[in-house]
Amino acid sequence: MSSKTAKPVMRSAAWRISLWATLAFAIGTMLVFVFLHRFVAEDIQRRSDAWLSGEVEVLADVAERTPKDAVYDTVVGEVAELAGKEVPNKDQSEGTSNDSVFFLQTGDDGSLKLWVGAGTGEPNLRAIQARRIVPDHPTDVQVKGFGVPFRVASTRIDDGSYIYLGLSERDELRVLRSLRLRFILLWLLIVLLGFGIVFTTTRRMLSHVRRITEAASRIGHSDLGARVPTVERTDEVGHLALTLNRMLDRIESSIHQLHTITDSLAHDLRSPLTAIRGKLEMSLSAETQSEQAESIVSAIDELDRLTDFLNKSLDVAEAKADALRLTRSEIDLDALLKVMIDLYEPSMAETGLQIKLRSVGSLKIEGDESLIHRMIANLFDNELKHLPSASSVTVQLRAEDDFAMLVLEDNGPGFSPEVLPHLFERRVKGKQSNGHGLGLAFIDAVARTHGGTVTACNRPSGGAQISVSLPLAAKSKSG
Amino acid sequence: MHYYRHMRLLLVEDEIDIQRFLRSSLQEAGYEVEAAADGKTAERLAVEGPFDILIVDLGLPDQDGISLILRLRQLGVRAPVLILSARRSVDDRVRGLEQGGDDYLTKPFALAELLARLRNLLKRNSPAASEATRLRVLDLELDLLRREASRGGELLQLTQQEFVLLEYLCRNAGRVVTRSMILDKVWGMRIQPDTNVVDVHIYRLRGKVDGKGQQPLIRTLRGVGYVLKDR
Repeated sequence: MSSKTAKPVMRSAAWRISLWATLAFAIGTMLVFVFLHRFVAEDIQRRSDAWLSGEVEVLADVAERTPKDAVYDTVVGEVAELAGKEVPNKDQSEGTSNDSVFFLQTGDDGSLKLWVGAGTGEPNLRAIQARRIVPDHPTDVQVKGFGVPFRVASTRIDDGSYIYLGLSERDELRVLRSLRLRFILLWLLIVLLGFGIVFTTTRRMLSHVRRITEAASRIGHSDLGARVPTVERTDEVGHLALTLNRMLDRIESSIHQLHTITDSLAHDLRSPLTAIRGKLEMSLSAETQSEQAESIVSAIDELDRLTDFLNKSLDVAEAKADALRLTRSEIDLDALLKVMIDLYEPSMAETGLQIKLRSVGSLKIEGDESLIHRMIANLFDNELKHLPSASSVTVQLRAEDDFAMLVLEDNGPGFSPEVLPHLFERRVKGKQSNGHGLGLAFIDAVARTHGGTVTACNRPSGGAQISVSLPLAAKSKSG
Repeated sequence: MHYYRHMRLLLVEDEIDIQRFLRSSLQEAGYEVEAAADGKTAERLAVEGPFDILIVDLGLPDQDGISLILRLRQLGVRAPVLILSARRSVDDRVRGLEQGGDDYLTKPFALAELLARLRNLLKRNSPAASEATRLRVLDLELDLLRREASRGGELLQLTQQEFVLLEYLCRNAGRVVTRSMILDKVWGMRIQPDTNVVDVHIYRLRGKVDGKGQQPLIRTLRGVGYVLKDR
């Protein structure tokens, strides 16, 4: 896969989306649980309070009715012990040892009269007296020596003594603890699962989008016939792909139409041009020495110029619509410039111009050979036609980032200020120019179709400067 | 048995004007020309009589020129084809054919170039001529191995590029070569400069080859190109 996919997962949109979604989900479920937990805890408390209040009433009743004789302690004690066995929320596995319930009766002087439960009951009594328990309102009492508090209900009997029934909150807390533990485990599981599901789904969804983007960016200059990959689903992503493809269909068809127009225009004009040129050449071979030969020769010259103009006009028209057809191959600009300079140097010397090449060496681009050749020939023709004698031209070739920079500088008069802003438009030419004014528009068109740019300016020290940038071939970028 | 026979050429071109002038120019150049204005006729003619070479225009009324060429190849026609195209871009299929030994020319073209390309195609197709190491045109002599040229026994001081240019002229001695042919063969470019770059090269070369008092060898045919005299 391409290098784009190698970027860390943590920075992908899928990661961020799933992180936020999971966070929201986790907080939401946690809040719901907190409410549920409170509800359950209150309910358990209410139930045990109800039991305590009921039992303490029963015990009070038994204590009142039982005569205060020798068996009083035994009777009340047994009743209390029986009550202790029906404790709500009790863990059945704990067996007979019962330290979760105590029964305590105080005399009217506040001393311990009767005790049923684990231990001596003294610490319980002290804790109860310290808390000052109001009858009929179960209250939490922390007893020394016990980890968990007791819930204690009390009532007053007619003889002035108080009875207290205490229920350890241990079982209640255990239920809640196990509830919390199970929730946390399940919650973690669900959150992780949710994250996984959201992440994989968004990732799959976004990978479709990414593939579409990558495919769409590849289309464009090189390959208008290609389409972005479509998915079978009819969701937004599938829709995006379909819409893009429909748009590409329309673009392709309008480009195709443009090609048809330029092709038929070229064909319709070239056929008569061919016939005319042929006839002129035939009459030329018949009349080589006469006066007429001169005019036939100039007619042929004009015809060739017209053909060149036609070709360039159509190229520029297609390039303006990003529709110029390229047949790409690898071109070494350095080698090409050397050949070009070799070709142009004698003509330049003839007009008293000097040309120098300053090159970093081999720089390769992927381009249409014929277009690039014609573009550079145009640049050189331009200098040759416009520079006064005794000027000099410097051609520089260097690499800048991923671009090959081709810079032509001269020490001539430069561009006239009124022309400079419109240099790359069609039909713009200097007053002294005898061309058809397509040269720079053509150069611009070729550079743009290759993904490059052209800029022109007057140098501060005088003279003109034209810079052409063309993207380097993939291989030379790494080197 | 003829020791010499005219090359038989099939011209497939639907534009009557172009067909007419091509036919007469080609006949003048010594070809025996049969012409067809559409693919069907061309197919019939090509199968009937053997041809040495074909000129096929891409834009035919009844079918695509390339389909015609591929069809003819299927039918066993082996003659090389010069493709004429008025289209703007060179079709990839044309490039394919070009690699297969055929050639193409875009309209409008110079007659001299058409003739030169025909000669090239025929030469390529004929039994390989032994590769000469020396070229001789009148008193001009080129040593292709040592890359040296001399006229009347006197060594000429030529640059590498000038030697290549002179070699090209010598190989086509007696025949017209156009500026675009020179650009294509000597510099490897299909460009049309609107300046006199080729003329200056020829002018310089002429200065070295045609010395004072010598018979001028390099002739300019205005509006057409150049020719190196061989008579």
